Amino acid sequence: MGYAAARGGLAAVAAAEHLVRNARRHSDAAPLQVDQLTERQRLAVDRVMSEGSLWAPALAAAALIQAEGDIIEAAQLLRSHRSTLPRLGTTEPIDPTGAPLLRRVVPAYQNPPGPQLLGRTVDYSGRLLECRPPASGAMDDTADETVVDVDVDITDRSAGHGELAGNGHRAQEPGADDAGAAEPVIAADGLPRCGRLLDLLRDLDLLVDRRRRDDPSPYDITRDPVRPGVPRSARLATMARAETGALVNLWYRNILGPDDHLHEVTLGEVRHARLPLPVTHPHSGRPVVVGHIRVTEVEAIEDLDGPEEDRTRFDAGYGLCAGHNERKAIAMANLDIAVHRDGGRSGLEQSVLVTTDGLDASGFLEHLKLPHYVTFRSMVERKVAMAARQRHRRTAYDDGRPTIGERNAPADETSSAR
Amino acid sequence: MSTIDPPARTEREQQARRRPTDDGRRNGGGWTREQRCELLAAAPPDDVIGLAERAVAEGSPPQLIVGPEVGTVVVQVREPVVGDRFHLTEVLATRAEIDLDGTRGWAMRLGDEPIPTLAAAVLDAEATARRPLADEVMALCDRVADERAAAEHQEWSVLAATTVQFEELDR
Repeated sequence: MGYAAARGGLAAVAAAEHLVRNARRHSDAAPLQVDQLTERQRLAVDRVMSEGSLWAPALAAAALIQAEGDIIEAAQLLRSHRSTLPRLGTTEPIDPTGAPLLRRVVPAYQNPPGPQLLGRTVDYSGRLLECRPPASGAMDDTADETVVDVDVDITDRSAGHGELAGNGHRAQEPGADDAGAAEPVIAADGLPRCGRLLDLLRDLDLLVDRRRRDDPSPYDITRDPVRPGVPRSARLATMARAETGALVNLWYRNILGPDDHLHEVTLGEVRHARLPLPVTHPHSGRPVVVGHIRVTEVEAIEDLDGPEEDRTRFDAGYGLCAGHNERKAIAMANLDIAVHRDGGRSGLEQSVLVTTDGLDASGFLEHLKLPHYVTFRSMVERKVAMAARQRHRRTAYDDGRPTIGERNAPADETSSAR
Repeated sequence: MSTIDPPARTEREQQARRRPTDDGRRNGGGWTREQRCELLAAAPPDDVIGLAERAVAEGSPPQLIVGPEVGTVVVQVREPVVGDRFHLTEVLATRAEIDLDGTRGWAMRLGDEPIPTLAAAVLDAEATARRPLADEVMALCDRVADERAAAEHQEWSVLAATTVQFEELDR
């Protein structure tokens, strides 16, 4: 309890911790196993890894078990563990475009280059609570399992020739050598990869070109402070490990709430993909892919309408986070373009940088539970002193005598106080 | 039209995206050193440990140069809007480097895996030096590549059924 000016109580603290550990270890229910969480609670594990800023599924699952399902507490455990580990290196710059797809939807465009691939989702289904446990007591996820046998020609390039949705305007003729047709849906290794809607908008000259010619090193938010004015790479890194609810809330209060710094954007890409991790081989100097992580990626297409903006083109924001978490990536992409357009005129950048880290926010919030005896006693003493002073003033006023503070005050101030 | 070439998609970044089955560099039953490291990083722990134990038993003991050391690797991404590089997250990884009769072997695997990583480094040196078990190392790599390709094909065969083309409503 370094923050609080209190000590002692160690026996009670140990007994309280024992209650937590005891309940976890000696429940009537079977103990949770790490693989149960990594295999069956993947979204919770993904969130812990993303907000804990460490991709380590088994450790994240163990943290969730230890934290009794409290995601922020689990993320705290994981990020603390990360801080004890040496940094072995940095991957080579990864272009997520090449990551094999697990899901990809393009809400802006009916026929984008590449497939609209729903992947593993219930986004388009009605959901009701499935509360009919079988006799074994376990929820039976296989009860209504059906095998969908759909004959899909996954090498069909005819889907994806740039027909703009909504106005019927055909940007490219079917069969034309456009961006979509040039890059196959299925790459040479048999995995689904495809280009981006951004590239198509660029080809149609509908996107503001903000691509930079220099190549600055990424800002390391674990080594340097994050304050307004930092490079965009710091903002992206901050949001990539931010708390999901904080990003969603910040987005929402800017859309419908009092802040009003955001537009409702159209989403270009929403992807869940498997990102390869290339590191430099220490002997050959060439890249070696040492593994993969899953990521969620979003492009947010912004309709520029400001007086000093290019109204003939769109701009885009970018969101990317570890694991499968579309809410987070969508909010991130929206906030990325919103901060860019805001240009420091409001406090939006500061809100993004300083208030979205779940561990910072909950740590500050929860410290309020610690003993604050000294600070509160000090406040009580001030209140008592002020009350005594007021009583003295009231008595002196009633008696027509000057009060303590009035004896040396100028005459006009004394009179105005009365 | 866009005239600026984005800094992303450099040849090196393209190279990093390639996978062992991509580019036809697998020839004569061999893999490049980088491909071999990738496949040994993906191989089942028991397989790399078992083969490395035999390699060590049949030759001189390896000399430890680095680790095995558990730590993190920063994931650096180049985003497509501006071309900014940024740190996405860190991943738990283990690395090891050994010397086997004057040949260096190196390995890195994701996770807290000191023994499998050390074993993979031994197998890297075994294959690089063309020692007696080099062919078995290559065979293990072949098997890992085949199993991974089969798993990816299976995964895609399920995903493909979710390909959709929504229709617009006529008013």
